[in-house]
Amino acid sequence: MEPTPAHPPLDSATDGLAPAGQSLPLGIYLRELWLRRDFVIRVPMEDLLAQNAHTFLGGIWLVLNPLLQVGVYFLVFGVIMPIDRGVDQYLVFLTIGVFVFFYSQRVVSEVARSVVVNLGLIRALRFPRAVLPLSATVGQAMAFLPALAVMAVVVVAHGTWPHPRWLLIPGLLVLQTAFSLGAGFVAARYNHTYRDLENLLPFVFRLAFYVSGVLYSVDHYIDSTLGRAVFLANPFYCFVTVWRWVMAGTPAAGEVWVATGIWSTVTLVVGFALFRARETTYGGTG
Amino acid sequence: MSKVAIRCTDARVSYTVRTHRPLIRGALRGQRPDARVIEAVRGVTFDVAVGESVGVIGPNGSGKTSLLQATTGLLPLAGGQVLVRSTPAFLGVQAVLRPHLTGWRNIRLGLLAQGLNAAEARGQADGVAEFTGLGDFLDLRMETYSSGMRARLHFAVATALAPKILLIDEALAVGDREFRNKSAARLDDHRAAAGTVLLVSHNLAEIRRSCSRVIWLQEGLVVADGPTPDVLAAYEAS
Repeated sequence: MEPTPAHPPLDSATDGLAPAGQSLPLGIYLRELWLRRDFVIRVPMEDLLAQNAHTFLGGIWLVLNPLLQVGVYFLVFGVIMPIDRGVDQYLVFLTIGVFVFFYSQRVVSEVARSVVVNLGLIRALRFPRAVLPLSATVGQAMAFLPALAVMAVVVVAHGTWPHPRWLLIPGLLVLQTAFSLGAGFVAARYNHTYRDLENLLPFVFRLAFYVSGVLYSVDHYIDSTLGRAVFLANPFYCFVTVWRWVMAGTPAAGEVWVATGIWSTVTLVVGFALFRARETTYGGTG
Repeated sequence: MSKVAIRCTDARVSYTVRTHRPLIRGALRGQRPDARVIEAVRGVTFDVAVGESVGVIGPNGSGKTSLLQATTGLLPLAGGQVLVRSTPAFLGVQAVLRPHLTGWRNIRLGLLAQGLNAAEARGQADGVAEFTGLGDFLDLRMETYSSGMRARLHFAVATALAPKILLIDEALAVGDREFRNKSAARLDDHRAAAGTVLLVSHNLAEIRRSCSRVIWLQEGLVVADGPTPDVLAAYEAS
């Protein structure tokens, strides 16, 4: 069958037309994201409150969860087998390390899933897809606030009074969130094509958990300059170390701060760019 | 001369279907996956003017849905070009939004996602809810809805903000008579406000009601493109 000629051509000028599936220019894209700030902030907040709606204690679980976690550490490392692994105040050391590490893990995992669990929404409505990673991040950040409070309580309970350094907490939280969101952007992009990534992520984090000085003091075991440099290339080590300095005054070298700043900005910018490059294909067949 | 809303030039869409994927052991021995390329759209050219409402007809597998999805940018083109004046809204049959949430929450979520702020979304939610005609069902989770109910909710949410280009893929067919009348009326309003519609449907009465022009696709090619009565007469005679 031969195709018949098209309908009488209209105005041949193509001003104002753009290829279907071309993503918006960066400035307009960011403005569209800003327009959706209520989606990004309110939807995860409502989800968070609804999450525990079917439990007896409801929202109290948000605080109880980290509290119980610390309780388990106290029981194991304080009562059953009191070891210090070369660290003063091991409970404080461990609590900060674990909470900070898990925060990044949760953000990255949730952001990685944020696109594939919302395919229904993506296929049904037009919106800049980056609102999904952003709203997943906001949800995890809100859920982290009670954990942060528990962290502070543990530090104070061990006799370290709040210090002016604590004023750095919001800034540090922003840096770590930026890094985790950036890493999540990358994971979300590839998880859309290869769902295998979702199964792999827990093992990547398990490995990172053991090599980031969450359970032990890196400085205690490694004293060569080269060894330290290797750890600066590990963002989780950087965050854990800086958080410990801010919260409990454990020493953190200046280069760790620099590395933390670089990791945060570079990961966010690169992650966002990689995610946006595939913007219009999310929801398609790959 | 009227402005172009959608310009398709020799658009081609193809799918690679892997009928047999070798396991990793096979891949190491050099087995290649059996891949077949299916050409769903094989060079389609047409212009749609701003404010025009065009029906797309043809048998199953003639490339209608692929053409619409390429126009949204969801499917990459294998060749040719599709230009659009603004990002089109796509209404398909399998709309779910967020299945675990209630109808009300989905309305709110949908309005926020499309760029309304919380206060505007609150203000519009009642109107959208009323348009769906779902009543108390809006308190139930969307996964409990029938396909017709889902389509109503999706149509109401997606058209609430009057997107300039609307691509509809059989989304109205699952609705009942009352909803079909309502949605047809909304499409009329949409057209009156210089909105562009591309409507895929097997319901020729619906096409006759809403479209002034029809494109007939068969095996990925345009068979006919012209005024609705002429093309439908030829289609029904075929």
